[in-house]
Amino acid sequence: MNTSRRKILQFMGGSAVGALFTPVPWRLITDAALWSENWPGVPVPVRGESRTGFTNCSLCTAGCAVRARLIGEQPVALAGVPGHPVSRGALCPFGLTGHHLPYHPARVKSGPVKEAWAAVADAIAKGDRIAVLDLRPGRTASWTYRRAMAAIRNGAYIVPPRPLGPATAVNLAAAKTVLSFGAPLLEGWGTPGNVIALRDGFRLIQVDAVESRTAALADLWVAINPGTETELALGISNVLSGGASGINPARAASATGVSEQQIAELARELTGNGPAVVLDAAGSSAVLALNTLIGAPGRTLVTRRETPVPEAWKKAAPATELAEIPERSVRVLLIDESAPGEYIPWGEIRKKLAANPVVIAFAWSRAGYGRYAQYVLPAAVYPETLEDIPPAIDAVAPVFRMTVPLQAPPAGMVNPGEFIATATGLPRGDALRERSDAIHKSGRGALAAMPDGKLTPVKEMKPEDLWKALNAGGYWMDTPDEKAAPPRLALAGPEAGPVEAASFPLVAILTEARGSAAPASPLMSKLYQESNLRLGPGRAALHPATAKAYGIEEGARATLETAQGRRDIFVILDSAVPPGSVKVASGPGVLDICATGERARVVPA
Amino acid sequence: MISKKNPVRTARYGMTIDIDRCNGCGACMVACAVENNIPPAHAGASDRKGLTWIRVFKVDNGAEYPAKRSVFIPVLCQQCDKDTPCVHVCPQQAVDLDPATGVVGQMPERCLGCRYCMAACPYHARYFNWWDPEWPAGMEKTLNPDVAPRMRGVVEKCNFCHGRWHAARERAAAAGKPNTEPVTYTPACAEACPTGAIQFGDLKDPSSAPAQASQKPEAFRLLEKLGTEPKIYYRSKREWVRAIASAPKPGARKEPSRG
Repeated sequence: MNTSRRKILQFMGGSAVGALFTPVPWRLITDAALWSENWPGVPVPVRGESRTGFTNCSLCTAGCAVRARLIGEQPVALAGVPGHPVSRGALCPFGLTGHHLPYHPARVKSGPVKEAWAAVADAIAKGDRIAVLDLRPGRTASWTYRRAMAAIRNGAYIVPPRPLGPATAVNLAAAKTVLSFGAPLLEGWGTPGNVIALRDGFRLIQVDAVESRTAALADLWVAINPGTETELALGISNVLSGGASGINPARAASATGVSEQQIAELARELTGNGPAVVLDAAGSSAVLALNTLIGAPGRTLVTRRETPVPEAWKKAAPATELAEIPERSVRVLLIDESAPGEYIPWGEIRKKLAANPVVIAFAWSRAGYGRYAQYVLPAAVYPETLEDIPPAIDAVAPVFRMTVPLQAPPAGMVNPGEFIATATGLPRGDALRERSDAIHKSGRGALAAMPDGKLTPVKEMKPEDLWKALNAGGYWMDTPDEKAAPPRLALAGPEAGPVEAASFPLVAILTEARGSAAPASPLMSKLYQESNLRLGPGRAALHPATAKAYGIEEGARATLETAQGRRDIFVILDSAVPPGSVKVASGPGVLDICATGERARVVPA
Repeated sequence: MISKKNPVRTARYGMTIDIDRCNGCGACMVACAVENNIPPAHAGASDRKGLTWIRVFKVDNGAEYPAKRSVFIPVLCQQCDKDTPCVHVCPQQAVDLDPATGVVGQMPERCLGCRYCMAACPYHARYFNWWDPEWPAGMEKTLNPDVAPRMRGVVEKCNFCHGRWHAARERAAAAGKPNTEPVTYTPACAEACPTGAIQFGDLKDPSSAPAQASQKPEAFRLLEKLGTEPKIYYRSKREWVRAIASAPKPGARKEPSRG
């Protein structure tokens, strides 16, 4: 047999074609695909024994009960607890991804603890004015701060503004009508599970310049010109008081874009359908004053008792709102920012600081006040922390629940309560345990134990059992105090903010207005970057016509400017934003320079 | 999976989503991402290149205020029961309809990334992995050990939390139940929904909540006229919501509106 070049080529060609009819190439493709599934670029989940743990979420005051799936000592999934009597199984996207926070790229892992300690010790020795800014008042740690500030010569305990008063709760269960001025009632306000459960019991009227999620689900959405909520409230006030207060409805209609007839109808709904309550996202006095006119105090606005505390704690510094602190008086400011809380614009805080101040932030990220502090001390973050959670705005009775660590914090974390207590010479002790014992001693209320939320009266429990149950995610709740005096709303008259329409032609509308400055899980990108469900951080939305007028295109870089400062933003176009306004994603940089209703302008980069 | 020669269907898993209750919070989206090891967005990802097995859209009735009304519609793989488009077009047999559960499965190790299935899917419920899955340093410890992350270059989609179904099967087997009996479990999105808008169960079981809800007059399915028999039923008492599920209005595209 002659072997020619042609025959060799024919053989090779035939082999190649024939191979396609055998499993070999397909098997190779499959194997390559299987191999590629495990190439180094794809992380391999850690395997191990699975178990269930319980805690309460401390990312907001709702304190929703959490069931965690743990592999070894690592939580891999969080979910609500359906049988829980208050949170009822609800958990928001922030809570569902809370176990990612310890690994957030913005996490602070170390800090100048010795230097900060020396600065505080020096200030105490000199008798300088030292203040603690507590962004989440109402916790056991808050009492520690108050006691610590009482123990030194010149201490002050500062809390954020409380428009409805320090102990006022909204009794949604008693409300038949809720008039909300931009309050995100169905977007995480109060305790979401409680609000959802009560939703069918009241008529919700949402006043919003844009169709927010709450507005979309409200029984009635009243679209208003951005930044004119006060005028609408004063118009309603005028109708309710028979002309004795507020402003003429015709003037209110002209300013707000809401017709006179509708203003009268809103007033009628507030008084004609049983108990009502008026809520405001911005905490405006003029808006909240409507509550007094409709008789809300004592019915839908109630006084919540304090959760029992040991008698020895009552020698404590009073809670002082920031506005009451004299300007340029604070030499050392300690800010507890270990978990999300209220955010006060830095400009307001700065006014209270003396010359050459020392600002120490206890924070898990530098996104908040860490940007301004000389010393940022690393703090544990949920779900590493052990602390109690302040009551939510819709909790009509005292509550006590703790966020129990699901995983250990890394070495070097600073506990703000321990730091401040030690620096001021408070005796060491387990404050949470003392609080638990005080609750037991009171004999009041019942404990909802995990996993099923079964209620047991405290009277039937031993102190150790109560403490053990609280450490297993239990929830203590008291009964409302029927004899409590109705809250007195200390409300000032209408604010008259300067309007600089010529320099700042746009009106700002903040989204997630109650949101804090803290970063969230990177997985939240599903809600803004990978979909259009929310406005992402650092972004602002303009109506296409407004953007065109300023020569700004979709995705362009620009600067948001207000009288308080400026902030770089990305612009997106959204036809749902009213012309003449700019919708801005809330965040630390934005909260420092603007609030809803603030005059602003957008300048192309 | 049960042999195709002897197709014994033990369950027909499906879902009902009450649009009138959905508040657009997005809990379903992040719960799904946590459960199924879907990575955070790459820097270059957008709403067209992201990975969201379930995605909530804000849809309005097209009217101007005060007649304007909006709803939130979670859209996920509709688990088509008949003439499943993605199954037909896949050249790699990487997509199949499990006769035991009725779940349309996706096998990433078989997928070549041709994206025919994405083009064929009438619901745009399939997503392509444009980038290697990456988590911030340390966060890979939080991955669910029951679900393998997918590599770059493959298509992925909702599979009704297959990992949870397997776990339920294991529990049932440990309890001595025969494997032909349907198991009860809850996907992550249904578990996370704070308003209870998402209900999941066996549509063949007349006593299950979704089976009953799917029979209500306000129940409908997306693009029902295509005849693919989706197993995701939506509910709304509003006529205009049911109407938009039939087909988009030609020429009715407006400027983009965001949630």
